[in-house]
Amino acid sequence: MSPWALQVWLGFALCIIGIGMHRTGPAFSRHRFGAPVALLGLALMLVHTHEPPEPEAGLVLSMIDSLWVAPAVFGFALVLMGAPLYWKARPATLLAGWLLIAVAWYVAYPSIAGTSLTDFLPALTALPGAVLALAVFALCVRTAERMVPPEAETEPLTEKEQRYVESVLKRHLGGDSDES
Amino acid sequence: MSLEMELAITAFSGAAALTSLCVLLAMLGTINPYHRPEVPSLGALAVIFVATYVVATTHDVEFGLDALRLTLVEGALAIIRILPLAFVFLTVMLFRTSLRKRPEDPLLALLESESGSV
Repeated sequence: MSPWALQVWLGFALCIIGIGMHRTGPAFSRHRFGAPVALLGLALMLVHTHEPPEPEAGLVLSMIDSLWVAPAVFGFALVLMGAPLYWKARPATLLAGWLLIAVAWYVAYPSIAGTSLTDFLPALTALPGAVLALAVFALCVRTAERMVPPEAETEPLTEKEQRYVESVLKRHLGGDSDES
Repeated sequence: MSLEMELAITAFSGAAALTSLCVLLAMLGTINPYHRPEVPSLGALAVIFVATYVVATTHDVEFGLDALRLTLVEGALAIIRILPLAFVFLTVMLFRTSLRKRPEDPLLALLESESGSV
């Protein structure tokens, strides 16, 4: 395999590992290296001094043509932060998110309108393919969990532990991120 | 086999292989002492193996690293082609989310009442 093809796959691996690292909990304190690793992976995939060989070249070109995904993702993140989901609504954040989504739609529309049905319909079979892979993974996880012998029943929380859990819940589900 | 059928089989197998590779990489990124990754890793590798075999047979390519690269790239391209559909779906979902009111949290209400009674 050529080093430029290898660079694309190394970038892909770093991107997915970075996203995986970022998703490790707790939800209020994400892994500090997750996002930088994912962005480094994305940069490795897209930035080259030499053009990668086929089939990777087609993938990189297609990714560059789909750069509207970047404002869309940032817009979705801002809308989720601004919407009254986890805390009170933040109208300015919400508006900024919708502006970015509008920009993404403006950029994406010409390529979406140019897509033919004969290209789109066979690609739809990717959905059951991905679902099948996830179903196999879920079955394997269930099998692995069932192979573990059951543990003895744990003791109930002490009063000190109960107070600690209560303080954690109050701090992180307090309803408003500005409250401390 | 018709061209559309060939494209559909390639997209299905490619997406399955790419998703399994993502699962493997995500497990690598989140490894911890409580993980039991052996069985899920074997399952994901089996999916990648079968999907690559199917694509290699469909495209008359020798089964190996080149067939694996082709499978993964075709899966990624198929997913990129259906991204606009996901974009429409997410836009509608977020529009509804933006308009809704924050629900009352029964857990916090319970905590408030309990700390008030102590």
